[in-house]
Amino acid sequence: MAVSVAHGHDAGHGDHGGHDDVIYNETRDMRLMGFVLFLVSDVVLFSSYIFAYIYLRNSVTPVWPPIVGGHQLPRLDTAFAAVNSVVLFGSGVTMHYALENWKHANKPRYNLFMWLTILLGLAFLGGQAYEYAHAQIGGWSGNTFGASFFTLTGMHGGHVFVGVCFLFALWLQTQRGVYNEHRFFGLTAGTLYWHFVDVIWVVLFFLFYLW
Amino acid sequence: MEGLAGIEKVIALIGGVVVFVFAIIGLRGEWHKNGLDDNVTKVLLGLMALGCVLVWLAAFGVLPRGGGGVA
Repeated sequence: MAVSVAHGHDAGHGDHGGHDDVIYNETRDMRLMGFVLFLVSDVVLFSSYIFAYIYLRNSVTPVWPPIVGGHQLPRLDTAFAAVNSVVLFGSGVTMHYALENWKHANKPRYNLFMWLTILLGLAFLGGQAYEYAHAQIGGWSGNTFGASFFTLTGMHGGHVFVGVCFLFALWLQTQRGVYNEHRFFGLTAGTLYWHFVDVIWVVLFFLFYLW
Repeated sequence: MEGLAGIEKVIALIGGVVVFVFAIIGLRGEWHKNGLDDNVTKVLLGLMALGCVLVWLAAFGVLPRGGGGVA
């Protein structure tokens, strides 16, 4: 993990309150800025696809969902997507409380919230797979609706999968003493990443299901 | 689609309220912190709460409006 690169282990050893802490705080700020810039680059990536979808929707077909083979495609299942959205937003909240409990050295509650986050993330992915299997919008290559939907939600699902792996790796690190309640940059980065993934879904949920 | 149906509507509504409340509580806890990560967290938690509002609108059938049938 990037966490361990600059400083070996985030928890560090010895010299607390001295030179070691100064170095840690300086490198932490730089790593944080780098991570936020990474998230900004991801915003740019998603934005380009989102604007492509908006362009297609407004200029390529006269009605939406588009007409394919003489019939208008159905809307996606908003009911199921709303439940799946709550699952993902809920995981964002549990991740926030996992980090807060780590900061307050409450390890049992940290473990609880961390695993809730991971399980909710997996549940979201399962829901997404179910939706892919049942969405009757013509597949990836059939029309602009299917192409946009599967590309954007697939890219988001990939981010969620990476996020789940990221969180599991972080949990393993916390069990091995890589972090303590004063030095936990990896957990901060993981929380920001997970919130980011949630917020991207807010936009996609609106664009594909509510608009 | 006209609103949500049955059990899914109830789950989405209750879940949306619960997540919204805890997101706002988390946001209040972050409010007086001023680090870069704290400020980013504030924005992201706020947007997540907005997502819950969208879920409410879907649950009450306010959105979406018009369009084809249901897949």
